[in-house]
Amino acid sequence: MALEAQLINLGTVDYREALDLQRTIAAGVADGSLPDTVLLLEHPPTITLGRRTEEGEVHVPDGAEVDVVEVDRGGKSTYHAPGQLVCYPILDLTRHGQDVKKYCRQLEEAIAQTLSAFSLEGATIEGLTGVWLQSPPRKIASIGIHLSKWVSTHGYALNVDLDPAPFTDWITACGLDGYAFTSMARELGRPVAVDEVRPVAAQTFAEVFGITFEERSPAGIARIPAFG
Amino acid sequence: MASTQTSIDVVMPQMGVSVSEGTIVRWVKQEGERIEADETLLEISTDKVDTEVPSPASGVVTEILVPEGETVEVGTVLARIGGEGAAPAAPPAPEPATQPAADAAEASASEGQAPVAEPQAVAQQPAPTAEPAHSGNGKSFISPVVARIASEHGIDPSQVPGTGNGGRVTKRDIQAFIDSGASQAAPAQPEPAQAAPPPPAPVEAVAPAPPAPAPPAPAPAPVTAQAPTPAPASQEAAPPGLGETFEPMSAMRRGIAEHMRRSLDTSAHVTSAIEVDMSRVVQIREKLKKEFQSAYGVNPTYLAFIARAATETLRDYPWVNGELRGDKIVTRNYVNLGFAVELADGKGLIVPVVKNAETLNLLGMAKSIADIAKRARDKQLAPDDVAGGTFTITNPGGYGTFLGTPVISQPQAGILGTYAIVKRPSVITDENGTDAIAIRSMMNLTLTYDHRLVDGAYAGRFLRDLRERLQTWGESDY
Repeated sequence: MALEAQLINLGTVDYREALDLQRTIAAGVADGSLPDTVLLLEHPPTITLGRRTEEGEVHVPDGAEVDVVEVDRGGKSTYHAPGQLVCYPILDLTRHGQDVKKYCRQLEEAIAQTLSAFSLEGATIEGLTGVWLQSPPRKIASIGIHLSKWVSTHGYALNVDLDPAPFTDWITACGLDGYAFTSMARELGRPVAVDEVRPVAAQTFAEVFGITFEERSPAGIARIPAFG
Repeated sequence: MASTQTSIDVVMPQMGVSVSEGTIVRWVKQEGERIEADETLLEISTDKVDTEVPSPASGVVTEILVPEGETVEVGTVLARIGGEGAAPAAPPAPEPATQPAADAAEASASEGQAPVAEPQAVAQQPAPTAEPAHSGNGKSFISPVVARIASEHGIDPSQVPGTGNGGRVTKRDIQAFIDSGASQAAPAQPEPAQAAPPPPAPVEAVAPAPPAPAPPAPAPAPVTAQAPTPAPASQEAAPPGLGETFEPMSAMRRGIAEHMRRSLDTSAHVTSAIEVDMSRVVQIREKLKKEFQSAYGVNPTYLAFIARAATETLRDYPWVNGELRGDKIVTRNYVNLGFAVELADGKGLIVPVVKNAETLNLLGMAKSIADIAKRARDKQLAPDDVAGGTFTITNPGGYGTFLGTPVISQPQAGILGTYAIVKRPSVITDENGTDAIAIRSMMNLTLTYDHRLVDGAYAGRFLRDLRERLQTWGESDY
């Protein structure tokens, strides 16, 4: 008897717009009017600054085409762009063990299983969140989560096929100085479409969290109160 | 202690089984500001998760005790809400604010992060800072696959010789380690493999924890005092000696350890036993079995009979179904019956609860027990399924044990133990007053009770009445 959840593929969405949407849905999940909801999407080039972003982490060159947004999630700065699969699970964690650590580990596991479908071995590093490829450590996915009344927002961003340079050149992403960032395409030596990864990400997520997805079109969101 | 007329403590909430501390990220309200119940008072972070902590009450923020940026243990008082008109939120905030999270979950790769605090040190203890400055090198990589295999076999991956890059333990290494028998410590592991259709770690939807502490929200005083104290588990253990094997303690095991210890430290445990002639129940069960099976797909187990009889009996003995809360005695007009369920081969213990057992007949009881037991084993229990128990039944008799002294599931006052039913020669007296030896199906029942609340004679009468109900079970009693 898996829990029911809805899955919405949004395509490419402006960061702030997606943030508003997350908050609206989170309110619905919190009051029980909406089921657990997972958003899959991409962002246009955006740098986001988490609560623990420190001075000096951001060093965007003049003229770079990128949005900079401060957000209410944990973690430090990170970078989003097309070619990166973003997953925002809006879950009532009281139904999923009510344990922040467990939730982080489950997200990591979902990412690792997604990677493993492409023959990449994701790993976790003690003390650091996110998912990494090894030897030398290269970060392939970032995690940042916000909770309110045990309802989660934000989530993970998996680098499918994008130039990882901005992670290190524009910011000190995640406050990790001296670490490399990579993408699935770079590791596999071939172009990888987000379209190719998205269904796998949905499936592994469902398995890890023991849920079944009902897929909704973005138009379905219009039915959510207070949205559109 | 600032003791204004009503001052309500806001404590560092429990954000997970193995989460023992949190960092104050930001105070949304400052001292002197007014706040409504449920409004966000501050934000904390653990791992990479930021969490809003709502105020447990309406009032004025009278004191902020821990500054931003500081990391403190779960249960530490962070602030006080008081001043005129301070009143607890009508329905106590459902948030983690004051209440230790009842549910745990098998957090597979038990991160060794439960660093043991002195229970008393809950007050203020500015620990270092959350994110330790990790140097980039020397990290031990453990892939989720390896972590899962390790946890399934109860192996500490650090004990496995790694052949991967930088001595990393690969899947092959750990397989070889297991095949070599080096991990012989774990005797019983056939199950997890099939028990894990969802591939990930033994986590799963919701696997709430052992007889979870879950102190009741209401009691104003003890709330903070009862903040869970991290298990006094891993004090710097001595390294394994010759012939010894280390295996990591799962989060659930830690939770059980902590709960059991705390229960023994809390209640004055006393056990009384009684011998019950179950012959009648055996007979009636034989009759009902077919009907229940074919009509309802349910097995009328002995446990269902006993649960039914116990529920009836509890109505006459409210203290056995009660609780000591602070200096008050709580009694109830309902029975929420907990059943201790073992998870696959010593992997842990969970106590799902059948709510309002007093409304169930034998069939309903049998169905409810089958349902929660199945969901417990499938890890499909919701947090609510393990909360709110008022009395517990444990059934170790399946293995032939005939007596035991179980530990009370706090904050309850009693636990009933049921043991093996065996045929024994027994002296019976017929209607003419003649004694004869007959073969009867006998069973022992134990009631372990908290002698702070329940006295021996009261417990004895409870057991006597329970026995009477079972021995005189009528054909039409459901």
